[in-house]
Amino acid sequence: MTRPLPDQSLGPEWTILELLARGIVDDLQRQMVRDLLLSDTLNWGELLEQALRHKMVPMLAHHIISERLRFDVPTSIYLHLESALEWNRWQIEVFRRETVRIAQVLAVRGIRFVVTKGMAFESTLYEGLGTRYMNDIDFMIAPRDRDTVMSAMQELGFRPFFSWAKDARREEISSRLNRDHLPKLAREIDQSGIRLINIDVANSLTWTKSPFDVPVEEALENPVEQPIPGMPGVGLPCFRPTYQFLFTVLHLFREAWLQKFVDFGTDVGLMKFGDVIRLIDQNRDELTNGELLRIMNAHNVTHPVAWVLRHLDETFQTRTQELFALEKYGDEKLLASQMQSSAYVHPWGQSMRERLQSKTRGSSRPVAPAHSGS
Amino acid sequence: MDDITSQFEECLRRHLRSAKPNPINYDVELVQLGLDSMTAVAVLLDMEKTFNIRFPDDMLVEGTFRTAGRLKKAVQLLRDRQRQPS
Repeated sequence: MTRPLPDQSLGPEWTILELLARGIVDDLQRQMVRDLLLSDTLNWGELLEQALRHKMVPMLAHHIISERLRFDVPTSIYLHLESALEWNRWQIEVFRRETVRIAQVLAVRGIRFVVTKGMAFESTLYEGLGTRYMNDIDFMIAPRDRDTVMSAMQELGFRPFFSWAKDARREEISSRLNRDHLPKLAREIDQSGIRLINIDVANSLTWTKSPFDVPVEEALENPVEQPIPGMPGVGLPCFRPTYQFLFTVLHLFREAWLQKFVDFGTDVGLMKFGDVIRLIDQNRDELTNGELLRIMNAHNVTHPVAWVLRHLDETFQTRTQELFALEKYGDEKLLASQMQSSAYVHPWGQSMRERLQSKTRGSSRPVAPAHSGS
Repeated sequence: MDDITSQFEECLRRHLRSAKPNPINYDVELVQLGLDSMTAVAVLLDMEKTFNIRFPDDMLVEGTFRTAGRLKKAVQLLRDRQRQPS
């Protein structure tokens, strides 16, 4: 699919990352990335910092290697990128084995579940190239299975783990009160380069008391079996495309609207938007056959989905709102009025593109633009 | 049993905007005084710090802080438990 080239107003470093995030789909884009990477004005420090912030170092490394730009990149930077990609591939391999181990135990206990996010995407949307970074392994279960899954995970050696957070006790209390996820779980492993495996088990497509939600039980029906690279005959259950899309978009909405993600510095990122673009590109027919629209209407999630797509279109020059006929939905003021809580981010005064690029999101709470006379 | 009322109310007022100017009604749901998921965490953390207590996992449920009365009772219970000689 051809898309307009991005404007370069936010600098060559940012343009490179935007193009990589949405996926290079034609020679014009490939040439643009190449030219920008070879330009004298490119600031490698800025490019690496933003690639790190957006979890895109492995993807940047892969692009440079596959485009044979090794000798055009400063040697020390090239060597670091190469090892970052290799390490990411190794981590994915370890994660795959662990995912299968967990999946087998859950299946034996008759628990309905799917694998989501990075583990579901890396072998499909990202072609198993080892370019999709992931912090942890994500599962989705039904709320009724929380206790069974918790006990299965403990038998597998996982324990609740909060020390990843700056204020561990705050996170512990928060995770006990907000029952949309199990507490984050971790297990120490004896693998070179990887000390811990973190697991995130969700039981909601959005969050506790969200005004927007799709029933998990419904989303878990008829999952698709996804093959795992390097493990012939083994598959992992994943959401079918319609629900995969809904979950991915609503998850992005959650990270954009809940203040705690801004505070942790883990709110919206380029890769998350890239996931949505790739999902649409790979499942266009199934996503536009009317079922998605029917489900969105049935569960009152049309506005949050349209809000994400509007920002996606404005940031990446896509035309997804038009594709799904959602141009009339996604009004930010309406959403803000439905989400009156200190837990939610105040309406952002900048564009999503500027928000994504900003390095100070966590340090200053966003404010709505001032109105004249106020 | 010591009286924790003034410290308890001070703690609540720090987080609940609607509780600030008025006497605290111990029977009203805290949600009506402005408690939401984020302030609930902040209130519990502040209670733990103020009274040097720790809410056990089975008390980290909505019922514990549905009203100021229930929350005060929980805080008092944990404080008394802690003071009992082991």
